[in-house]
Amino acid sequence: MGHKRLRFLVLVAAAMVFSLACGGTTGGGGTTKTYKIGLVTDIGGLNDKSFNHLAYLGLQKAITDFHVQGDVKESKSGDDYIPNLIDFAQKNYDLVIGVGFLMQEQVGTVSGQFPNIHFAIIDGAGTDSKGNDLKHANVQSLYFKEQDAGAMVGVVAGWLEKNGKAKKNKHVIGAVGGISIPPVNHYIAGYKWAAKMEDPSIQVLVGYSNNFTDPAKCSGVATSQINSGADVLFQVAGGCGLGVLQSAGKAGVYSVGVDADQKDADPSVIASALKKVDVATYTAIKNVVNNQFQGGALTFSIANDGAGYSIDNFTVPADLKTELDKIQGQIHDGTLTPPSDIPA
Amino acid sequence: MPLGSVIFAFILGAVIVAVTGANPFAAYSGLLCGGFGIGCTQGENPALEISNTIVFTIPLITTGVAVALPFRAGLFNIGAEGQLLAGSVACTAIGIKFSTLPTPILLPMVLLGGMAAGAFWAGIAGVLKATVGAHEVVTTIMLNYVAQWLVRYLIIGGPLQLAAGTSKSQPIGAGARLATILPADNSFIVFGLPASVYRVHTGLFIALVAAAVFAFLLWRTSFGYEVRAVGQSQKAARYAGVSVRRTIIFTMLIAGAFSGLAGAVQIAGVDHNLTDKYFSDTTGFDAIAVALLGLGSAVGIILAALLFGALHSGGAIMQSDAGISSNLVLVLQALILFSIAANFVGAIRRGLPFGRGVTPAQPSELPPAAGLMSEAAVPPPETT
Repeated sequence: MGHKRLRFLVLVAAAMVFSLACGGTTGGGGTTKTYKIGLVTDIGGLNDKSFNHLAYLGLQKAITDFHVQGDVKESKSGDDYIPNLIDFAQKNYDLVIGVGFLMQEQVGTVSGQFPNIHFAIIDGAGTDSKGNDLKHANVQSLYFKEQDAGAMVGVVAGWLEKNGKAKKNKHVIGAVGGISIPPVNHYIAGYKWAAKMEDPSIQVLVGYSNNFTDPAKCSGVATSQINSGADVLFQVAGGCGLGVLQSAGKAGVYSVGVDADQKDADPSVIASALKKVDVATYTAIKNVVNNQFQGGALTFSIANDGAGYSIDNFTVPADLKTELDKIQGQIHDGTLTPPSDIPA
Repeated sequence: MPLGSVIFAFILGAVIVAVTGANPFAAYSGLLCGGFGIGCTQGENPALEISNTIVFTIPLITTGVAVALPFRAGLFNIGAEGQLLAGSVACTAIGIKFSTLPTPILLPMVLLGGMAAGAFWAGIAGVLKATVGAHEVVTTIMLNYVAQWLVRYLIIGGPLQLAAGTSKSQPIGAGARLATILPADNSFIVFGLPASVYRVHTGLFIALVAAAVFAFLLWRTSFGYEVRAVGQSQKAARYAGVSVRRTIIFTMLIAGAFSGLAGAVQIAGVDHNLTDKYFSDTTGFDAIAVALLGLGSAVGIILAALLFGALHSGGAIMQSDAGISSNLVLVLQALILFSIAANFVGAIRRGLPFGRGVTPAQPSELPPAAGLMSEAAVPPPETT
């Protein structure tokens, strides 16, 4: 006991000396170090109702919980990524967080210029201009197991079909991806896998719009799936996917949102598959505060509450809720592992 | 008048900041630090801030010129953005296709290619205006959309795409790149930071030369005289033997070449590849404000571009230091443009007793664009 107590006192004393040594400029008045965290948004800005907003919420939570000074720079255009990242880095921030894969190359460049500054990037890595991961030791990639979130909404879709609670009950559901790239396919893999587990007779239509921004493109794919009998449509196409939600609304069938809670996008949205960017951001900051920053990938899943789902414009029957809790628990403890490749 | 408009905008901007409960002095000191590296309080590096401002200023000078030249001919080129995109596409395509060629061959190729593409893009609007009378405001705006969607296609699923799932092109060859003024070296420390963070590139000199060429063309050549004659009065110009059609087409071609050059320089000097940032690029639109604020003179455009570059660079510092949204910068830009267009300052001066009668009445028969930068507003520097 005495030994531990002594170590604690030494630590406190060290912290006090340290804060006195750096003292005065911030005037925080605390006895512990104030960690400076810089958040650089992508061009979506803080009010994007998606990644940037969630990252901001994570930062706010960290400010409440730790001795953290959080500063934000909203990027107005792609031209701003480099100056914004550099500004935080050259002011010796303890962690510079870039939101989104749009600034992978810039994080790669700036992390090379400032090897002593820690960087974290949501959904990406620090890359060169050809998209190769530079594997800088001072960059932490915050990735997500999209298949976990996809599986949860897949349970909802499969359960509805199996129990005749969907709109058409032809045992057909759909998923509309933006482009056939890993993060999109992870979502769809979990969705299809879980829906088949719930309802073995189900047919899952998978289509791609080859677009992430134009709702009209996704609307076209969604409409053809609806015409083929699909009555739950999962959008995995960002801004383009709003067309899926709207088409489902017009046709009177259900839809499922992606990344953030999309219940406000259309009344047809019954659930959303979530990437908890707020949890990822908070965790990255917590690691820095606890002196546990590590370069490389950090993956967020149901197991560490970094992925999940929300129930939206829909009242969940008790049976479904039980089923969801059961599956979530099994994924959480590793009994069930949603696949990352779309099953046959 | 332009200085008055800027001051007017900043005063009104301060009022807006104060009304939202923030401190206008903190906002402007943040802008001043981020823009010019003056009075930084939170550890900003002045050299870095100035470097960032210059990087933002370079394309604004060249596109500002591309808007100002047609203004002189009474044409409103809203298509500088589309022409810039055409130039950056051409630069990227050539820079990738011939990536192995050495700099002395490839660099002129990408820059001239960019100029040609920009000239072609603006030329479409020029020819349509001269032949069928299609209004250049409408056609250049439409061509902006065509260029934006063309870029989108080229790098998402199109031939320039780097790899499936990406939204950018291959990088251009090393020979197609403009050198930075300091070596792009992470281990060479300048002003306490790695030299590679200072991104000012030799495109700065290209932009300054472009502004000089613009002034020379306008004031020292017969073509420039024709441009100004057409801008003053097409009828009079025609009566004096100037081919109005030819002048309109050539004016647009040259303006497009300037914009295209801006796009090529941006790729060759800063980005080295065509990326999704060009979907939302606004340089060509900011250029309209730059041209108006600079009163269509080369020196004025350089100063106005510097102001807008500083606002762009300063916005982010203002946000992180003073906690004021960098959107204030957009508000200030809009207020500057607005007060130039509405000529508040002139109106206030005319309304005041000591200023009454000093400002001459605007000539009423000029086309609207020419009225903003007419000879009455700027005395021609034809003194030598």
